[in-house]
Amino acid sequence: MTTLGDSLLASGISRRAFLKFCTALTSLMALPPGMAPAVAQALAKAKRPSVIWLSFQECTGCTESLTRTSSPTLENLILDMVSLDYHHTLQAAAGFAAEEAREHAMKEFDGKYLLLVDGSIPTGDGGIYGTWGGESFVDILEQSVKGAAAVVAIGSCASFGGLPKANPNPTGARAVSDLVKNKPVINVPGCPPIAVVMTGVLAHYLTFGRIPELDAQGRPVAFYGETIHDRCYRRPFYDQGKFAKTFDDEGARSGWCLYELGCKGPITHNACATVKWNAGTSFPIQSGHGCLGCSEPDFWDKGSFYKALATTSWGDAATLGAAAAVGVAAGAAAAWMARGRQDRIAKEK
Amino acid sequence: MNALDRIGVKVVAAADLPTGNVKALLHELAELLDAWLQRGEVASIDLRSLPLSLGDYEELRAALGEGAVSASVEAIGASEVRESRYPGVWRVTHRNEAGEVVADLIEVCALPEILRAPVEDAAGGLIRLKETLQ
Repeated sequence: MTTLGDSLLASGISRRAFLKFCTALTSLMALPPGMAPAVAQALAKAKRPSVIWLSFQECTGCTESLTRTSSPTLENLILDMVSLDYHHTLQAAAGFAAEEAREHAMKEFDGKYLLLVDGSIPTGDGGIYGTWGGESFVDILEQSVKGAAAVVAIGSCASFGGLPKANPNPTGARAVSDLVKNKPVINVPGCPPIAVVMTGVLAHYLTFGRIPELDAQGRPVAFYGETIHDRCYRRPFYDQGKFAKTFDDEGARSGWCLYELGCKGPITHNACATVKWNAGTSFPIQSGHGCLGCSEPDFWDKGSFYKALATTSWGDAATLGAAAAVGVAAGAAAAWMARGRQDRIAKEK
Repeated sequence: MNALDRIGVKVVAAADLPTGNVKALLHELAELLDAWLQRGEVASIDLRSLPLSLGDYEELRAALGEGAVSASVEAIGASEVRESRYPGVWRVTHRNEAGEVVADLIEVCALPEILRAPVEDAAGGLIRLKETLQ
């Protein structure tokens, strides 16, 4: 099997271009830029992995997010580097031919393929709420996991159950990590996840041949290590106590903090505030709407999107104060004041 | 004046205003430049990993100013290399073939790596040069 380095050089890419590509990849993976030479060294030796993508209870938004990325060169190069052997939406084959492709890849790359899953898995009533080819999603997942090197749960549904799991969860929807216990599971939540976060995780596996460092929720620390609030450009207004009270008041027009309008930024771990969306154009808060917390477990069932955090069931004021203290800018005093402010807002509502 | 213009909205693009982060960044650069001079440690900062507003980028550009060297590199898209008014501090912006920024760095070193000719490319060049001489 040829290495990625060989195939890139064979396609006429100069060493200088390859090094530049690795610099861009290092930035994409949110690694320190000093690691670019190490990335180049590892990537030159990396093998092209087989990827099987299973779609269960999902809306295809995650695939849309991934395939509609607007930086064609880098994303395409990464996608070209993997052998995407099975993907419902993207593959030309259908029916038995499609299932054959999956079974063939599973056999040929046994123990080595990367399994990507979007959507939750309905486990209620024997798993009858989701089937293809007469087999339940539960069974298909179980079969496909057996020979996988690792499983990547793409999106909030696969990571945490997402909308299908929303109360009263009529289909008994579960997250991938609820069902897969004997393989490493990387959660890449978001509704949908940011495209470069998905490709960044793939690139990390591709480059280093192992999964990235994960947090307690199984999310890659490089992308989910900080909250939206920590990196929000409106953060200074939060620290100054300047809040928009309605969506059309002076505060909203002046770009003040959206905390009181229900922004879940302080407890939401994601890269929206730095990576942003649509080729770095903007993100919800920049567009004047609070964060919904879509990359956090059960965000759908935790109270109104438009109520301040302290009045919802996202956690008590003490944990919210702790979340605020994580910010580099906020010292202990600032966090204490912020907690007082949250308590006050909670009482007013 | 069309109907949209008559809506009384005051647009304040707060995302465009400077956040004050550039000052912190310049302090870090001073540290890095000192470390390079004292101990020969080269360093680089990935600007896109920092919460910088459009106003910050403008402020940073003005703060770094123009130095003695500016160069462009064509390698799967254009890359711009500009030395700042502080020798040894470089702004390196990599773009893809569609012209989008794929990496935006400040490097503290004698010469950014992208400007050096890699030996692999030089070896290929030597083969081509010899072919033209035959």
